[in-house]
Parts: sequence; structure tokens; C-alpha cells
Amino acid sequence: MTALTRPRSVVEAGARTPFVEGARDIGPMALSVAPFGLAIGAAVGASSVPDLAGWAGGPLILAGSAQLTAVEMIDAGAAPAVTVLSALVLNVRILMYGAAMAPWFRHQRLSRRLLLAMPLIDQLFLVAAPRFERGDLDERGRQAYYVGAAALLVGTWVLAQTVGVVAGVGLPATWGLHLAAPLALAGLLAKSITGRPAAVAAAVAGLLAVVGAGLPHQSAVLVAALVGVAAGGVCARHAPERARS
Amino acid sequence: MSAFLVIAAVGLGTYLLRASMFALVATKPLPRRAEAALGLVGPAAVAALVATLVLARSGSVDPGPAPELAAIAVGFVAVRRTGNVLHAFALGLPVFWVLSALAG
Repeated sequence: MTALTRPRSVVEAGARTPFVEGARDIGPMALSVAPFGLAIGAAVGASSVPDLAGWAGGPLILAGSAQLTAVEMIDAGAAPAVTVLSALVLNVRILMYGAAMAPWFRHQRLSRRLLLAMPLIDQLFLVAAPRFERGDLDERGRQAYYVGAAALLVGTWVLAQTVGVVAGVGLPATWGLHLAAPLALAGLLAKSITGRPAAVAAAVAGLLAVVGAGLPHQSAVLVAALVGVAAGGVCARHAPERARS
Repeated sequence: MSAFLVIAAVGLGTYLLRASMFALVATKPLPRRAEAALGLVGPAAVAALVATLVLARSGSVDPGPAPELAAIAVGFVAVRRTGNVLHAFALGLPVFWVLSALAG
């Protein structure tokens, strides 16, 4: 194959590979999960939960709010079944991320899809989904982008929790590190609202999550998200022309 | 049940939530309406999660998280205007520090 007929790869063209692009795009999110991971690690160290068990929640659960919930409930002596259920209900939103992300990998073998599912979490979904929707990556490129983003995100997450547990630091609340995750997610939320239906979905879900805070087993997030999606869908059907503005 | 087993059970359950859709949905074309709804999942789920983390972490509405709420609001607006997620931290955290200091 000659140089004239050989397609120029993204590397030859001087562009970033999708793997590197994914890692670069999720960089701010990786930075944001670091203090949250540090704070969770420190919370594990300060609790009665064995350090190794609490730390294992970092790589095993890969979802900070559910991990923190589990650690707090174990520490408080809650029944195991209730603890597991409460943490899982908080994570049911990931089911929706999976449903939205899976079609982008429809031609992969099942075994590979099951591997790709492992790191799926808010930050990864909110960075990868809009990138895929641009439509200029084939499935191999999407996979590389996704894995690059996931590698940096998960690596940072586990490292930060390790430091938090090992150092056992009493992080001052005045630093606001507990705000790192909500701030990062609020930033992603701001970028993900691209039309009126999305704005309606977010507003309804945010409001309902607060109103429904007392729902059993911390199901408010799930219920609020479902109702928010429904409200956004109604908005899109009734005002499609304005939805794109 | 030991703490490790509880954590492992949460991890396994969470993985099943992740993997189920990758196993079931990926190879089947979704109805147009379902595809449109899935595009709203991110904004809705994240808004609910942020509201819970800031206002209702303990399972009931916290009446006094003014510095946190202001920081989130400023961070949100900053990213809306600039498109740079790092601005959520660059502006949101200082707002939290100042308001927390003022609140004593």
C-alpha cells in the first residue's frame, strides 16, 4: 500500500488518538473526584468499618455516594440487607446510563460489552455520551475513547481513596472537599442541558429529589430521575420546535 | 455478615445494574421515543443526585446549607456561560469558603 492510497491515521494526521482524547476530556472530572475520593477514604479510616473492606468499595462499587452510604450504614449498625438495598437503590440510575450507552457498542462481543460496563458512572457517561453523539467516531474509536476516559477516572478514584484511607487525614470541612463531587456534577449538568426538554427534566428531577427526600430506602433519586425524564419527554412532544432552541 | 461481604454485595449488585443493559439493550434497536427519553437520562439523574447530595444527604431536607447551595449555583452558572467544567471549582469553591467564613 503506497503512501498515496494509505488512509492517514489519526496519529499520522497529528490528531489525538481517541484513547488519549477520552483521557483528556475526562481530566477535569478526574481532578474533581480526587478530593471526593480522598474524603471517602478518610471517612472509611474514621469509621468502625475495617479499612480494607471500606477501601474495597472504591474499585468494587465505583460509585461514591453509594459507597459512602454503605460505609455510614455499616458504621451505624444497620442491617446488611437494608444497607445493600439502600446503596443499590441509589445506583439504579446507572441502569439508565447503561441503556443509553450500550447501543454505542452494539457490535462488540458480549464478553467485551460486559467488560465495558464495569466502569460506567455519572462522569464517564456525561463525558462519553455527548462525544459519541457528534458521530465522527466509529465503534472502535468509541471504545478507545471510553476506555481512555475510564482508565483515568477509575485510576484517580482508587488512588485518591487509597491515600485517604492510608493517610487517615482529618480533612477540615472548611476546605469544602465534600463539595467536589456535587460541583463537578453540577458543571456536567450545566453542559448537558442543551434544550428545553433537558432543562425541564433536570428541574423536575432536582425538585422532586428534595421534595421526596424522605422516601424509603433513599429511592428519591431514582423516582425523581424517572419523573424528570417523563416530564422532559412530555415537553419534547408538545413543543418540539422550541425544544431545539 | 461482615463489612466486606456487605461492600462486595453492593459492588456486585451495582455491576449487575451496569451490565444488564449492556447485555440486553445493545443489540436491539430502540424505539425512537425510547432513544429520545434516554437523552434526558443524564440531566435528570444528575440533577436529582446533585440536589440530594447538597440538600438532602441525610434523607431529610437540610434547611441550612446556604454556602453549599450558593457554591453549586455559582458553579452551574459559570459552566453554562463558559462551557469549561473546571470553572465550577474555580468559582464555586471560593464562594463556599467566603460564605462559610462569614457564617462563622
